[in-house]
Amino acid sequence: MTLKDVSVSEILRPEDGGSSPGLAEAAQIRYLSPDDTEFTLTEGHMLNVKAGGKEHVGVYVHCSFPHTNKRIYLSIRTVENEEIGMIRSLDEFPEETQRMLEEQVELRYFAPEISKVLSVKEEFGYSYWDAETTSGYCRFTVRGGGGSVKLMTASRLLIVDVDGNRFIIPHLDRLSDKEYKMVEVCM
Amino acid sequence: MNLNFTLPERELEAVSQAVGEHIRYCVPVDLTLGGQRTEGYFVIGEQKWALLLEGRVVDSRLITDAKEYKVVPLIGSAVLEGDEAGTKFILTRLSMKHAARYGYIAQILNDMSRQRTIRIYNDEEEPVCASCGGSLIPGTRVCPKCMNKAAAFKRLVSVAMNHKKTFAIGLAVTLAASAISMAGPYFQKLLVNSSLQPPPGQSPSVPVFIWAILGLLFVLVGGEGLGIIKGRIMAGVSSQIAADLRKLVYERIQSLSLGFLTTQRAGDIMNRVTSDTDRIRNLVQELFTTAVFQLIILVSASVLLFSADWRLACVVLLPAPLVAYIQRYIWKGVLWKLFRKQWRVYDKANSFLHDVLSGIRVVKAFGKEEREVKRFKQYNAEFAAATIQTEKVFSILSPISNYLIQMGQYLVLLIGCNMILGKQMSLGELVQFSGYAGMIYGPIAWLMFMPRWLSNAIISVDRIFSVIDEQPEVMDSEASVKHSIQGTITFRNVIFGYKSYEPVLKEINVEIKPGEMIGLVGHSGSGKSTLINLVSRFYDVNEGEILIDGVDIRRIEQAHLRSQIGVVLQETFLFSGTILDNIRYSKPEATYEEVLEAARIANAHDFILRLPDGYDTRLEENGGNLSGGERQRLAIARAVLNDPRILILDEATASLDIDTESAIQEALQRVTRNRTTLAIAHRLSTLRHADRLIVLDKGEIAEIGTHAELVAKRGIYYNLITAQRNMSKKAEAVG
Repeated sequence: MTLKDVSVSEILRPEDGGSSPGLAEAAQIRYLSPDDTEFTLTEGHMLNVKAGGKEHVGVYVHCSFPHTNKRIYLSIRTVENEEIGMIRSLDEFPEETQRMLEEQVELRYFAPEISKVLSVKEEFGYSYWDAETTSGYCRFTVRGGGGSVKLMTASRLLIVDVDGNRFIIPHLDRLSDKEYKMVEVCM
Repeated sequence: MNLNFTLPERELEAVSQAVGEHIRYCVPVDLTLGGQRTEGYFVIGEQKWALLLEGRVVDSRLITDAKEYKVVPLIGSAVLEGDEAGTKFILTRLSMKHAARYGYIAQILNDMSRQRTIRIYNDEEEPVCASCGGSLIPGTRVCPKCMNKAAAFKRLVSVAMNHKKTFAIGLAVTLAASAISMAGPYFQKLLVNSSLQPPPGQSPSVPVFIWAILGLLFVLVGGEGLGIIKGRIMAGVSSQIAADLRKLVYERIQSLSLGFLTTQRAGDIMNRVTSDTDRIRNLVQELFTTAVFQLIILVSASVLLFSADWRLACVVLLPAPLVAYIQRYIWKGVLWKLFRKQWRVYDKANSFLHDVLSGIRVVKAFGKEEREVKRFKQYNAEFAAATIQTEKVFSILSPISNYLIQMGQYLVLLIGCNMILGKQMSLGELVQFSGYAGMIYGPIAWLMFMPRWLSNAIISVDRIFSVIDEQPEVMDSEASVKHSIQGTITFRNVIFGYKSYEPVLKEINVEIKPGEMIGLVGHSGSGKSTLINLVSRFYDVNEGEILIDGVDIRRIEQAHLRSQIGVVLQETFLFSGTILDNIRYSKPEATYEEVLEAARIANAHDFILRLPDGYDTRLEENGGNLSGGERQRLAIARAVLNDPRILILDEATASLDIDTESAIQEALQRVTRNRTTLAIAHRLSTLRHADRLIVLDKGEIAEIGTHAELVAKRGIYYNLITAQRNMSKKAEAVG
């Protein structure tokens, strides 16, 4: 069964903000609090973190919900994918740390947003895209036949090209008719 | 893969100031750290590296200042990372297009920072088109933009030439058929002019009338008859050509190395054998039945029209392209899109249904029936809406498109009747004329659709030839010999990686004696399976050599080598057929007695005889009607039937329960006697009979020795075995 049709609110339920004590005890997730955690940025743009008196260098910030909310339930992990701890919400942290972590999230989850679809040509089971994105003008090739163009939420479209680069159309409903028609063929 | 791009002139100067005159490697950079697309280069000189963005050197350091360079793949991009005295830093960011290239670069930087020889065997394919730089169709070397359609077509013609006689006959029949069709309107004119309404001054003539009627009958019967013959000939020829191509592709796939085959998805290869060749069959058939016929009709009808009355001909022909264009737009621009949308919605509803029905136990277990009904209702409504929309549009557009085709006729009648009233034309001539005019629109509309399917078919041609042209990576040389294996296997300085920038095995040196049983131990990813793949020579080593009885395996004929190696894998694959067929797979000429012996050794004989159909039992798909242990024992029987000198067991008993395993263990012990055996097992107890154990760690031999020696050493093996004992103790305690 897929969960793709379950609405975001059903997954997140931000209003309850916690979990039942039984689950929490079994899961033993370590949440980082601003009091005992210190993030620093190296000159080489890598993130170091000092948590509970222990220093970790070159850590990465993983999002639990990269498509629906990048600011909550962030996991701080080493390059070997060991979790150092989780952050419930960026809002708990001072502004400077927020900026630093947001920058790291942007580094890890790279998917330029498509601001204008210039052309989509479909041929031989592949589609060739020309688009203006937040990262500049991009041309890319997408494999047809499902899997490469996915609706992540009702109106957010994820496009993965043949190399593994990712592009996002954040609001399908805000595309012009002409753009929508071109994109629709690939969905 | 290109690791040495040419720098533009102005950038060369900036770089040489940063890294020196000599540039060893130079690769493109296409992302800034902030995630903007950019044009830049990452350059490696003799001592230093430099990062150039937009023509300016933005960073440059000594390579030896840092170590542990690596490409860290992130989501949608990657970074090249280094470690300078415990502080990590990012050298540059890159899009996924260049990820593999930077894998090599990281390896080069590491080698240079440790002042080692650079070990790059740069034989990986460049995944971009050499002429335009665009992405290739994955799995092929086809660039859809630069593909030379004419060249592909020529290749097809050369295959088709094997059937040139049949082609010639088919073409002759096609010509005859079109000639007969063209005679139709002429006889109609004859009919009208001879009897229905003779032109002024002529009286009705019965003989001409009979001739005309007979002529029409001939056109009807002859045309249809020739059509049938033409169809039969072309269907035969095109199927033959497709069969030729299928055979070529299949033969080539079988001879290609595992290296190529594992980089391709099985579905993709299947497609080439089946749907691509079928598309070509369609191409040939369409081309020679419909296309040639339509073209002949189009040309000859136009000629006849113009010779009859050029003014009228213009009236008919001028709107034709427009009509054809509108036709094409209606079908492709409107209807096709609607149909596609409908199919998509249908697909979605279908897969939802499949999903929920196959998970119905889960739905019931969680009591979510109502929710699923609600969701289905939504899909159902969407599908109904899409269908209604398509049908609505179709019901309007379909008649319009038909009328368009007949518009020319309407014009002809309009002008023709005027001419008859003005006595410039006879009724018969008008009938003949409108007959020819009616013939023109079909071919023109058809031609409008031709480019699309023609180019699709050509891509198929190219995809097929790209496999046929593929060269196996592992090849027999002329000096290859047949060698009867005694059983000594020697690894001498073996270095190997599937991608040469990531060595999986590093400096492997070991000698295995004949008849020895070797257990290979190590964490997953430590290179165990790779090691045995090399013994079977599914891949060639990058450096060093593997010797069997002192002979380099690259000098032994592949087929002869593998016929002396028996392999049992964790995932046994059995073909559909009988148990006998499956055991005999390794040696088709084996006698019944040999098969029985092999089954007996593998502890399979008893269970086979318990089956109602014995050795004649037909296996369902992949032995679905047998248990895991039974399948595994058949696989062992298959491996030993050939009496191989070398036996490879790759996790042969991992997926079995303890009881079954001990039954198979007993069988294996019998099998491995006097054979050189390489066995991989995660469950270390499986290897207790091994003469020696080799412990691999990150591609290197970490420990080697007997069980007792390694336990005494208290190293990796000791840790592994204590961990497993503790696990099973815990399991027992819980159980």
